[in-house]
Amino acid sequence: MASESKVTAEDTKIDLFEDDDEFEEFEIDEEWDNKQEGKEEVTQQWEDDWDDDDVNDDFSVQLKKELDSNSEKS
Amino acid sequence: MAYVSMGEAHRRVTEFLSRFSDSVFSQNGSSLKQLFSVSSNSSSLLSLADALNVFQDSNRLIKQSDTYSQLGEILVPLLRSLQSYRNGNLVDAYTSFEKSANVFLQEFRNWESAWAMEAMYVMAYEIRVLAERADRELASVGKNPEKLKGAGSFLMKVFGALAGKGPKRIGALYVTCQLFKVYFKLGTVHLCRSVIRSIETARIFDFEEFPVRDKVTYMYYTGRLEVYNENFVVADQKLTYALIHCNPRSEANIRMILKYLIPVKLSIGILPTSWLLKKYSLLEYENVVQALKRGDLRLLRHALQEHEDRFLRSGVYLVLEKLELQVYQRLIKKIYIFQKQKDPSKAHQVKLEVIVKALKWLGMDMDVDEVECIVAILIHKNLVKGYFAHRSKVAVLSKQDPFPKLNGKPVNS
Repeated sequence: MASESKVTAEDTKIDLFEDDDEFEEFEIDEEWDNKQEGKEEVTQQWEDDWDDDDVNDDFSVQLKKELDSNSEKS
Repeated sequence: MAYVSMGEAHRRVTEFLSRFSDSVFSQNGSSLKQLFSVSSNSSSLLSLADALNVFQDSNRLIKQSDTYSQLGEILVPLLRSLQSYRNGNLVDAYTSFEKSANVFLQEFRNWESAWAMEAMYVMAYEIRVLAERADRELASVGKNPEKLKGAGSFLMKVFGALAGKGPKRIGALYVTCQLFKVYFKLGTVHLCRSVIRSIETARIFDFEEFPVRDKVTYMYYTGRLEVYNENFVVADQKLTYALIHCNPRSEANIRMILKYLIPVKLSIGILPTSWLLKKYSLLEYENVVQALKRGDLRLLRHALQEHEDRFLRSGVYLVLEKLELQVYQRLIKKIYIFQKQKDPSKAHQVKLEVIVKALKWLGMDMDVDEVECIVAILIHKNLVKGYFAHRSKVAVLSKQDPFPKLNGKPVNS
């Protein structure tokens, strides 16, 4: 039992010195062609006009059903 | 370890010493940098380290030569560091390397040109990596891991030697990035501030002149800092810069950029495509995005709970939690659309009771007063335009643009 708790204490101590998202080192002489194919894809994968009036998805249909049935009851 | 004869050991040590002094005296930076790459496990450095275990007299060899002795204060601790590293004595490898690096830095300051910049890069990298390994060793025997902190102080000295005017300035961003890695690991990110100020306020040097690899790394880390400070517009700019300029082959780095850019984009009302989430296996965001699209508060809470640990570790949990208001907005907008389909003339009057029912359906028990409070916040933050008809417990929505879009701007605070 005593040794177990010691292990956990050490783990947390080492754990303090971690950054899960440490950026990988580029080589000192690493160069790249920024116009490479595939790049466009990554930078254009954003939707800013998603908030439309479409309510035909499953979630909306069920929500509507729920609200309608409730309003009939009341 | 293969057997090395005394003669062979002597030959390898002499060869290293002469390569080192040749590189310095002929100012050949790219040759010199290889000789400092302690942690690279290059075959020539490994065989040198084996030779040092056999030939114990290298210090005398250095002292006796006029050429080598001029570099003795760099060479003696460097050889010791290489040997200790090979023998798995990482604390000594670090301590010796730091001694060598300090003397090298003094020399480096005196050289007018930046010929040794690549060697300086390697030195900055090695000191960080060796310190990390030394700290691991110290922690494993219950001692205080303090070397990385020491490496940070050394790197600040290097930064000081580069950050002024002149040709060495080009290397300042590389050292800054090494410092960021140290500070993020130690959890002392506030120490980044002074180097950032020095980089960003310098009028003598245009940021764009730095090497692209350093610009990308810099923007990634400063972008993360802006996420912690909840400056989402600036975070968006910095992380997007990193994304655009990152090496397209470096998928791990692109993934890390996206890990922070996605919550930033979400908080300003922009969604990633599911293609992006799949391609970079960031599926922890899938349900968050879905929740925003649907107006599904239960799904948002569920997604946050499911990946709580991951989101807390990367520090984006609070950012994601604040998406709740956008999800409420979306839910009320749906109710409004249903009403519009039924009777456009009454659509802009939303009974709070209806919202209560929708939330109840989502498993969230809230009474009319609580819902009123949330709608008041939405109105205050300009996510909903309207007012309350207080007595009748109805939110009266504006007939024009009742649900303003964020359009790349953060929610009002």
